[in-house]
Amino acid sequence: MIEVVDLLKKRGIAGDLFTQEVFNQVVNYEANVFKSYEKEERRGHGLRIINPEGKLGFYAFNRFSNPQEVVDRALEVSQLGDRVDFSIPTYPSTWEWEDFVDPRIENLEAREMIELGDYILSRIREDYPQVLVDVTIGAGREEKSLLNHHEEELKFARTFFEIGVTANQTREGDILEVYAERSWGSRDINIDDIVEEIISKLEFSQRVVTLNSGKYPVIFTPWGSLVLFLPLLYGLNGKNWVFGRSPLQNKEKKVVFSSLFSLEEVQEPWALGSCPFDDEGIITKTQRYLVDKGSLEGALWDLWSAAKRGIKPTGNGFRGSYRDLPEPGFSSLRVKNGLRDSSTLIGELEEGLIVDSVLGLGQSNIASGYFSCNVQLGFYVKEGEIQGRVKDVMISGNAYQALLNLKEISRNSRWIGGRILLPYLLVEPIEINA
Amino acid sequence: MIEVLEKLVHLPQRGEYMEIRLENIVSTTIRVQNGVVEKIRVEADKGGYIRLLTPRGSWWFESFQDWDNLQERVEKAISGASLLPKSDIEVVRKPPVREEKKVTLADDFRFKSLKDKTSLLLEYNQIFKEISPLLVSSLVEYRDEFREIYLANSDGSLIYWEKPDINLNFTATARKGDNIEVYRNGVAGKTGFELVKNQEQLAQEVGQKALLLLEAPSFSGGMYDVVLDPVLAGVFIHEAFGHLSESDALYRNEELKKIMTKGRRVSSPVLNVFDDGSLDNLRGSSPYDDEGIPTGRTYLIKNGYLSGRLHSRETAFLMQEEVTGNARTINYRFPPIVRMTNTAIEGGEPTKEDLFSDIERGLYAVEYIGGNTALELFTFSAAYGYLIERGKIKELVKDVVLSGNLFQTLDKIDAVANDFRWTEVGGCGKGGQMGLPTPTGSPHIRLREVLVGGSGND
Repeated sequence: MIEVVDLLKKRGIAGDLFTQEVFNQVVNYEANVFKSYEKEERRGHGLRIINPEGKLGFYAFNRFSNPQEVVDRALEVSQLGDRVDFSIPTYPSTWEWEDFVDPRIENLEAREMIELGDYILSRIREDYPQVLVDVTIGAGREEKSLLNHHEEELKFARTFFEIGVTANQTREGDILEVYAERSWGSRDINIDDIVEEIISKLEFSQRVVTLNSGKYPVIFTPWGSLVLFLPLLYGLNGKNWVFGRSPLQNKEKKVVFSSLFSLEEVQEPWALGSCPFDDEGIITKTQRYLVDKGSLEGALWDLWSAAKRGIKPTGNGFRGSYRDLPEPGFSSLRVKNGLRDSSTLIGELEEGLIVDSVLGLGQSNIASGYFSCNVQLGFYVKEGEIQGRVKDVMISGNAYQALLNLKEISRNSRWIGGRILLPYLLVEPIEINA
Repeated sequence: MIEVLEKLVHLPQRGEYMEIRLENIVSTTIRVQNGVVEKIRVEADKGGYIRLLTPRGSWWFESFQDWDNLQERVEKAISGASLLPKSDIEVVRKPPVREEKKVTLADDFRFKSLKDKTSLLLEYNQIFKEISPLLVSSLVEYRDEFREIYLANSDGSLIYWEKPDINLNFTATARKGDNIEVYRNGVAGKTGFELVKNQEQLAQEVGQKALLLLEAPSFSGGMYDVVLDPVLAGVFIHEAFGHLSESDALYRNEELKKIMTKGRRVSSPVLNVFDDGSLDNLRGSSPYDDEGIPTGRTYLIKNGYLSGRLHSRETAFLMQEEVTGNARTINYRFPPIVRMTNTAIEGGEPTKEDLFSDIERGLYAVEYIGGNTALELFTFSAAYGYLIERGKIKELVKDVVLSGNLFQTLDKIDAVANDFRWTEVGGCGKGGQMGLPTPTGSPHIRLREVLVGGSGND
């Protein structure tokens, strides 16, 4: 691909060529039965250029014919493109970084993945023979590279290992579905931990209980906390600041959340988002605060948005795939944990709800933070004991308000999707419609 | 290409079922935001897959981008697949089909210049600027896509077809302090460029609606009689019943099969629901599904009784039912799974006005932001609503979320109007395959005493 940037250089055009290469293998079990082995090879390129008039062009392709054609397509687009205020970055030549590649994942054989799947299935079915279990185990390697018109190159590779388990228990008039997942960059996922999570969720779900509508304290599990995090991530997106549609814009250095709440972006080794540089070649910080003790400390900026606002990019330009231009995103996030275990928080709850997952995530007004969701898996707590599972219950409120009304954060936390480390959050009060 | 594929489909010799799909997708995506051409993406995406059901009853699936060396790939797949564990999967086999279906577009978007496309979007974007300074952000998104698909399978079928798709969406964000409202609407179809022209009025409406929502109070949750407009009613049936009619949800679940027994009464008698992938020119339509089975009409509910469900070759075999042509994939990176095509509630007798006339206190829920299901649970968000008082449409309200238990809710539908129409905008996600075009159709329908969520009471 060097010939593409070589041609850019010759013609005096600034640009970068992003290449993504993925190898992935997956085994699937459906309803207790081995279903399939899937293998995927994917490689593609996105050429971004800034033409001599300062206008942005882009062309994505996965079949390379010749450099001339690729550059011409990008140039054609640039004639109509936006005049941008940033330039293509240069990359440090002496700097060194590590790939996050686990050979135990690279060399993982289908046979081993199938053994894992069989084990998960048999452990759950030992305790709950009546449930139908779906298991998906994925393992692979991703490599990203950037080549700019100075013919400088950056390259970063990682492996990934992802396990998702769903257990379904159907009875007349009652369909229960519980889910657990773990994703990590190395092979070190504790399989028994997933199995135990599924089993304990099934255990607490066997009794269905009712609760009355009203305002209750709610404990969001790490997975359930996404209800509050999706609007927050929208609000932290620099592009939304530029376009004037984030409720957080112009609130920098102000206390907008509970003082218990701190959110950091971290380059935790083996967390799936962590990377030495973002998809635009900007070096990421090992650690930085987005929210520190309730005070808004920063947002997520890619080159484009940062230039529009006249600030420095923060290493948050990420691409969904090679076919996408960079957008503000995050590497890995961590919510600072509290002092006491989630079991203590539950034990001290006089009356309330544990929310583990909801339906309709992201379907409310994400921009203003308003949410209203059906609780897919939730447990009613009375006098410190989990009484059973609730059905046909809706929670509603505002994510920003909820993060201001945080009462406590648990000591224990869990990585969600291998990218966000979340504890249990106790919020009071939350409106519940039963 | 057909000649190459013809030879390859005969390579499996031990009773395997095999499919080879080759796909070439050329697309243009343009985003204009606040008067700025924020993104133009022209993309050429070429790839394919081999999907193989081994004699031992498990699937091998391999996706790739390189069309060369197909024979070697197939040979490797056959030998690799033989190492997979034993399972119990089998598929319905059919007589071979040979067909080539080409498409002619009125105003073919492949021959429009990027400049023409972009200028049109800039003109639309200008409309928002003139409406009100409270519209802090306006987004015009355009996408066109032309697919060529080759499908060959071990039945001996060789099919080539073309699939155009075009859509235009407007999103307006209105803001007053921390009060932010987003409203979006658009058009989509399997047509040429003509669809996206002359949409100035729609752009106007989108901008005006965002402003109106800014002033609208939040809806108070509670029990209401509810009238759904055709857009929302379509999403409701897609979410609430359509997904449960996809046989992969139940083919291995004995308890759910009992709940979904054919001939069981599942709703009030006014309801008739069908899925039809063979209709002319809807975005969910196709001459064949992605397993090479001809598409057709399947009634899911007839006069309140469960009358059919949607199948792939695999689910039809296991349940010993006829295939329905509902195996679909979003692209060569994914295996086909059971999906809806165009799903609808059939029109009834009463007029739209009749539905409102005897509602004392109710809600008219209009359009949607999104929907989701977990088998019997469903939830969907209306874009907005109006209060109904003594049969009259009154105040505009926002933050309307309908949610509940499927069977209880279907039984509450007591009237279906005669103003049927299709909605083509939007897509559906399942098993990681997002954005599949699944149009929905419906007239206005009425539900009695439904729990509606809102935030107006806090």
